Amino acid sequence: MAQQGSVGELLSMLDSPILGVLEDITAAFKDNLICDRGPMLVNNLVDYYLETNSQQALHILSTLQEPHDKHLLDKINEYMGKAATRLPTLSLLGHVIRRQPSWKHKLSQAPLLLSLLKCLKTDTDVVVLTTGVLVLITMLPMIPQSGKQYLHDFFGIFGRLSAWCLQNPGHVAEIYLVHLHASVYALFHRLYGMYPCNFVSFLRSHYSMKENLETFEEVVKPMMEHVRIHPELVTGSKDHELDPRRWKRLETHDVVIECAKISLDPAEASYEDGYYSVSRKLGTSLKHHQTDPSASYYIDTQSSYGTSTPYSTPRLTLSQMPGQLPQILSPQSIQPSAEPQQVTIWSPSAVCGMTTPPTSPGIVPSESSQSASQPYSKAFGTSAGGKGTPLGTPATSPPPCTSDDFVHVSLPSAAATPPKKEDKPDPGRPLLYRQQNVINSDKSLDTPGSKSSVALSDLPEFLGGLSFEDSAEKDREEDAISKEISEITTDAEHMVPRGGFDSPFYRTNESLSGSQKKTHSVVSSVQGHSQTSEPLTSSLDKPGPESARETPKQTFTPIDKPCGGSGESPAGNREGTSGETSILTPSPCKVPAQRRVVFGSGQPPLYEHLFEVALPKTAYLFVGKKTEELLKKAKGTQDDDCMSSTSPVEVLDRLIQQGADAHTKELNKLSLPSKSADWTHFGGSPPSDEIHTLRNQLLLLHNQLLYERFKRQQHALRNRRLLRKVIKATALEEHNAAMKDQLKLQEKEIQALKLSLQKEQARYHQFQDEHENIVAQLHSQIRQLQHDREEFYNQSQELQTKLEDCRNMIADLRLELKKANNKVCNTELLLSQVSQKLSNSESVQQQMEFLNRQLLVLGEVNELYVEQLQHKHTDTTKEFNMLNAALRKELDKAKLCVQQQSQRLDASQKRIAELESQLAKKDHLFLEQKKYLEDVKIQARGQLQAVESRYKAQKRITQAFELEILDLFGRLEKSSLLKKLEDERAEAAEAAEERLDCGNEDTVPGHSEETIGRNGETKPPSTRGSSSSKGGSGSELSTPEKPQHQRFSSRWETSVLLEPSTTVPLTVGSLPSSKSFLGMKARELFRNKSESQCDEEGVTINRLSDALKTELCKDLNMETKAPPSPDNLSLSPKIQESSVGQLHIMDYNETHHDHS
Amino acid sequence: MADDSQRNFRSVYYEKVGFRGVEEKKSLEILLKDDRLDIEKLCTFSQRFPLPSMYRILVWKVLLGIIPPHHESHALVMKYRKEQYWDIHHALRVIRFINDSTPQVDIFLRIHQLESGKLPRNSAFPLEPEDEVFLAIAKAMEEMVEDPIECYWLVSCFVNQLNSKHKDSLQQLPKVLEQYLNIEDSRLLMHLKTCAAMSKLPYDLWFKKCFAGCLPESSLQRVWDKVISGSCKILVFVALEILLTFKMKIIALNTAEKITQFLENIPQDNTDAIVSKAVDLWRTHCGTPAHSV
Repeated sequence: MAQQGSVGELLSMLDSPILGVLEDITAAFKDNLICDRGPMLVNNLVDYYLETNSQQALHILSTLQEPHDKHLLDKINEYMGKAATRLPTLSLLGHVIRRQPSWKHKLSQAPLLLSLLKCLKTDTDVVVLTTGVLVLITMLPMIPQSGKQYLHDFFGIFGRLSAWCLQNPGHVAEIYLVHLHASVYALFHRLYGMYPCNFVSFLRSHYSMKENLETFEEVVKPMMEHVRIHPELVTGSKDHELDPRRWKRLETHDVVIECAKISLDPAEASYEDGYYSVSRKLGTSLKHHQTDPSASYYIDTQSSYGTSTPYSTPRLTLSQMPGQLPQILSPQSIQPSAEPQQVTIWSPSAVCGMTTPPTSPGIVPSESSQSASQPYSKAFGTSAGGKGTPLGTPATSPPPCTSDDFVHVSLPSAAATPPKKEDKPDPGRPLLYRQQNVINSDKSLDTPGSKSSVALSDLPEFLGGLSFEDSAEKDREEDAISKEISEITTDAEHMVPRGGFDSPFYRTNESLSGSQKKTHSVVSSVQGHSQTSEPLTSSLDKPGPESARETPKQTFTPIDKPCGGSGESPAGNREGTSGETSILTPSPCKVPAQRRVVFGSGQPPLYEHLFEVALPKTAYLFVGKKTEELLKKAKGTQDDDCMSSTSPVEVLDRLIQQGADAHTKELNKLSLPSKSADWTHFGGSPPSDEIHTLRNQLLLLHNQLLYERFKRQQHALRNRRLLRKVIKATALEEHNAAMKDQLKLQEKEIQALKLSLQKEQARYHQFQDEHENIVAQLHSQIRQLQHDREEFYNQSQELQTKLEDCRNMIADLRLELKKANNKVCNTELLLSQVSQKLSNSESVQQQMEFLNRQLLVLGEVNELYVEQLQHKHTDTTKEFNMLNAALRKELDKAKLCVQQQSQRLDASQKRIAELESQLAKKDHLFLEQKKYLEDVKIQARGQLQAVESRYKAQKRITQAFELEILDLFGRLEKSSLLKKLEDERAEAAEAAEERLDCGNEDTVPGHSEETIGRNGETKPPSTRGSSSSKGGSGSELSTPEKPQHQRFSSRWETSVLLEPSTTVPLTVGSLPSSKSFLGMKARELFRNKSESQCDEEGVTINRLSDALKTELCKDLNMETKAPPSPDNLSLSPKIQESSVGQLHIMDYNETHHDHS
Repeated sequence: MADDSQRNFRSVYYEKVGFRGVEEKKSLEILLKDDRLDIEKLCTFSQRFPLPSMYRILVWKVLLGIIPPHHESHALVMKYRKEQYWDIHHALRVIRFINDSTPQVDIFLRIHQLESGKLPRNSAFPLEPEDEVFLAIAKAMEEMVEDPIECYWLVSCFVNQLNSKHKDSLQQLPKVLEQYLNIEDSRLLMHLKTCAAMSKLPYDLWFKKCFAGCLPESSLQRVWDKVISGSCKILVFVALEILLTFKMKIIALNTAEKITQFLENIPQDNTDAIVSKAVDLWRTHCGTPAHSV
């Protein structure tokens, strides 16, 4: 609660006059709103606003953020239900919505919309209805998609209200109806623009009913005259236009512009793309007429007369353009191709004059010179507009300002312009013309209505002209950027028809044209044309009489009321626009200067006009005010209004104009600040209900104003976007142009290169030719040289052959020389030889002579000897011969003998060799034989070994057999012994008894022998014989005997080896020795096999056997003792002594040993 | 060698590459073709290569002196051998040491005993250890040789050879085994020594019975090839290889009794490999035997 209290305090402080407190409070509220999410604060604020209508509260409410929107809407909805608070609530809602809050999409879901619709359907208060409709219209583009569910509600509201306009069931004041009508008109545009198919179908169904037919005829049909066919009607469908995809791409301002495009109403319409074809054609056709560049003044005159006619105005504006441009640039530029540029240059003024204000001043300073040029031009346009308006406004507002003032004003302005227009050949002419106009306006003072109209219609021209003049010098570049501005050109061209349709002014002008004509005719002879043309226009649009006839309707409107209404509204506008103008006019310093000049005229209201011209919408209002004023002056008689053809907006505008004019007129008489005092001054004491009506009217106007402002904002948004596009396009164009330039440059380069290439080629050909020539020359030279060479070659060959010949000759000569030399040598040799021989022969001759002499001497000696011999030795030769022959014969004999001897020797030697070889052979044979023998021996040995092993085996076998036999015999004997023992038992017993008596010692060992076994047995038989010992033991002894035998047999060999007397091979002999009888048999067996081997053995064995036979036959009794005997051979000497047989055996062994 | 010309000239390379005994059958046939067989060459051959099974018995008989080197006398000698066998056989039957139901091995034993003059007085007399050896060898030999007479002679001569020729060296084999074990795997030797199993190894089985009953006949033949041809050291290496092969198991065993028990009953699955490795080992340690016997 405390908080609530504090909130209350805060609220009370909200409207504090102190600025600082105000800011603090606002900040506090905003903080609270951020912190607190509850509905309380919002509710309080709404309450407070409704109570006090506080602007601060409104501001806070309209800037509410997201979480509070619901509370606000709920609260508004709540108050909407109450009839008392409905109106302020609606206005609050309108304020909020126009702010376009971020939560606007929620509106469609809010119950508020429903209650609004309900209110519109049911309410009867015109003010409420109008306000509501405006709110609805504002809201519609924000919720295009979600609003479709209420589509029929919208249509129903439209139907109701349109009918209301006609029937006026509440019987409210006509002035309200005008407002209502205007708003219904706006609604119509909106609905038709947004949902054409649905709306048309609604219209079709709704107005097909008879009761509605009148409404259609009266209200709806005129409205339809102001719209073109919506393209959606052709291409779209009911469902398609409700398709969310269609709306998704469009923002709120897009929707608004979309709707505006459809409209033909200049107040509503917006021609962006493609809707201007007609007007353009018109413009172009006009341009063709204006080909004469030198007709500048003529054009001026034209313009002067064109002002009076709606048709001529476009012509004027356009013709003035080309007319002036040539003067600036050159005659060539008048060509049609240049015209669009001029048009574009002209456009800014048109823009500022007619269409949406250029609210994008931010771009101006920041952009580069080229791109900035356009804004500049705009700015200049506006400035020019600002400049122009003073010129125009005096005309329109002659009552307040004197004509002298105007002239005064216009002159400085004209004087100010010339320095800029240096290129202008005839600067004075437009100036003059303006002065003419001024004069016209002066004249129009006398005939006020007509004069004002002229000025108004001239306004665009002037604006255009001035703007052009201003911009032309500075913005030559605009020619280059012409395309950029093309969009604006369209606007400019739009303006043309608009100018034609610019109804409020024209209607009034036309109505007053009669008087105007007179003045014109007075002023200029050319004006006569206007007279001819004027009827045309009037007949086209509205005949003057008609309008005059209809004016009475408007005469109702009290002059005072509009004044009151307009008194406030311009002020509001001024406040709103002041910021914008200040932004608009930053660039040129002249403009403010000019303004100052304008202001210097001491006309405070002019100040207002400036702004209002800068903002066309407000300009309308302003102009409307003027007209109203004029109307008021004319006592409403000349006021005209054509309901059927004019749109409700225009009607409203006119109304406002009238009011404003009246108001300003009054105001001009008063001091400016005391507006509040106006009332008393102006209206005197108005009746109370009048006040109420006026208040309502004011309210309605305010609403309308707000709505228009909203529209303007949307347009501004759009403008900005378009401008951005334009800039982009420009940049691209620039880029393109640059690229083209580059391309050109490159082409030039290419051409240059081609040229150089051709040159180079030519040079190359030349070089080639030269080269070929040189080559040919060289070839010929070569040929010649080759020829020479061949000649030389031949010569040299000849010379060589000669040389060869010479060489041969030389060689021959040399040979000859050699031969000669040889001959000489030979001859020399021969000579020496011959000389030698000669000498030799000489010596030989000497010797010969010497020998011959000797021979002669010897011969003589021989002769002497022979004589001697012959005398002395005759017998000795015979004996000698005889001896010689004998000797020879003997020698022959000896030789023969030697021969014989040698032959024998040879033979014997051969024989020896033969014998030796035979011997060797034999030796070899011997060796072989030996080898073979050895082989055989080995073989035999092998066999022998086998045989031997076999033999050994046989021996073993026999041994085994013998053993077995012996064993068996042993057993036999034992058994026989047993029998004997049984026989002798008695005797033995007796004997034993006796022996026991004799010596106990013997029996004891006998007993012990029985128990012990072997030891016992060995000893006792030796002493006493086996009969006594074995008799005692009997069969019991058989068991101990066996192991004894076995052991014996196993140790057989060892025991035999131990004996020194018996040798290994004669073991056989030892065997039978022990067992005399068994040995016999064994011997026989053994003999059979071993007889072949050793005869000696056989002899011994025979002997042995014989001996054994005898011995064994002798003492049979000894047999019993035989088995143990070998066992104890060495052990017991007693036995040897006692037994003779045993000794024999031993003897045998010995003898056998000897034998072997 | 004269017979080398008849052998495949590649045989040398076979051996170099590692194929041992590719051509030995052929060369053995050449050797056996000689009249008056060269026993030394046969010995060398038998030591170098494994004998082909079809000639094994013949070679053994020649090496053991059962048949003489001359082919002519083979038939005669064999006849003698046969008669001798049957004589003894008959005698044994007569003295009732054997009868029809007596197993062949026992017959061999009795014949051998009789031949060597060690026949006991009674067949029921307990067997001597050397008889056990004979029986084991005879059992193994019986598997290898079909003819009982040949078998007997082989057994008998083999045992005689062991007893005469290798008697001294056989007694030294355990020491040699220890020595080589030390070279090959001292750790195993250490283990065996710590277990005191070195003295308890089945030396009788290994060296006296020449692995008869320890290795299967197919493997045994190859060992005996070497033994018959005069090298009893192979026994050491077979024993060594057995120890090495079952090294892990032996190391796992801790007591001498267990080790002995295991070694007496070694698994028979990869004895061929053991023997092959043993032969390799023998070659590496003793070198390839040349003409030395």
